[in-house]
Amino acid sequence: MPPDSAYERVLQTCLKGELKVVNSGLPKRRKLLSTLLGEKYPYVECNDGTPYLFKRKELICLAGMLSTDEQESLLLPIIIEVETNQPQAAAICGGNIEEKVLSKIIGMTLTYRDGKFRLYLPQLALIRKELKTTTQYVFSPSVL
Amino acid sequence: MSQQLIKVRPTKIELVKLKRRLSLAQRVQKIVKDRLSILTMEFLQVARETVKAREKLVESFSELYRSLSVASGYHGYMALEKELLATESEVSAIAGTRNVAGVRIPSFELTGDEKAMKRYSMIDTSAYVDRAAQSSERCLEAIIEIAELQRSLELLGKEINKAKRITNALEYVIIPSLQTTIDFLNLTFEERDREEKTRLKRVKMLIEEK
Repeated sequence: MPPDSAYERVLQTCLKGELKVVNSGLPKRRKLLSTLLGEKYPYVECNDGTPYLFKRKELICLAGMLSTDEQESLLLPIIIEVETNQPQAAAICGGNIEEKVLSKIIGMTLTYRDGKFRLYLPQLALIRKELKTTTQYVFSPSVL
Repeated sequence: MSQQLIKVRPTKIELVKLKRRLSLAQRVQKIVKDRLSILTMEFLQVARETVKAREKLVESFSELYRSLSVASGYHGYMALEKELLATESEVSAIAGTRNVAGVRIPSFELTGDEKAMKRYSMIDTSAYVDRAAQSSERCLEAIIEIAELQRSLELLGKEINKAKRITNALEYVIIPSLQTTIDFLNLTFEERDREEKTRLKRVKMLIEEK
């Protein structure tokens, strides 16, 4: 066994590393759907500096679900926060637009609790199937 | 399964340290487990899509061969080849990445001229060539799709393997050994308390006897 401090350091590094790795794909700044539709190569920059590319097909699909005003207020990617040790994930939604989009995709209304929309894993799978690039997972350190 | 005890001095400070380590290890385990479940879900999704894409690829290629053979039968091989030379063009695709729970997955999208495959003479050719051109476009799309899915499947699989190893190490080695050591220290402290009580009783008895 390594000495105490080294042992703890290994665990701390592992914890920090895991959080860093899982959240490396988060965007520095989200963009509006209307802005992305106008771009030749729709992308946002991630925390690790890499570009995160959106599929135009998905953007057009989202645009088809929303009115012009709604397109101008929907920020992409839609962030989905994963709760620890729960069979569910909570989508962080800034407004009703995300709820409208997600409920349209899964074909049912979403459960609203504690200011967040609850998404169960089967629903999440459906959403990720349709919106691969326009949704993004976040593992929040606050759940620890 | 008997767990290896961590060699520590049986003191209260060590117990506190061990408890802190245990909670830290449990935190790491929670995150890795969550990540693993998300990755597995994505992997299964991609696997299903890959099967579909592969079927689509085979289907579109067989359709292409059929339509090409019909077209070559109708126009003759030489004439068809002459027309096909005109359709030769560069294929452009946007290549980027997307991130799924820490795994960087490639993302491809075909761009450019949609009529690249239809640059042949419309007067000299028939609808059979049109059909062959349409099929070849579908084939190209299917190839791009399968390339993305296949690589995603590989990367996700590797990452699942890695995450599983970490989870197993935490679940079956690190956390149990920490728990066993904590239990052992608690038992040692209880034993010390009992010894202390017995000693005191014995001293009391000796004093009373005198």
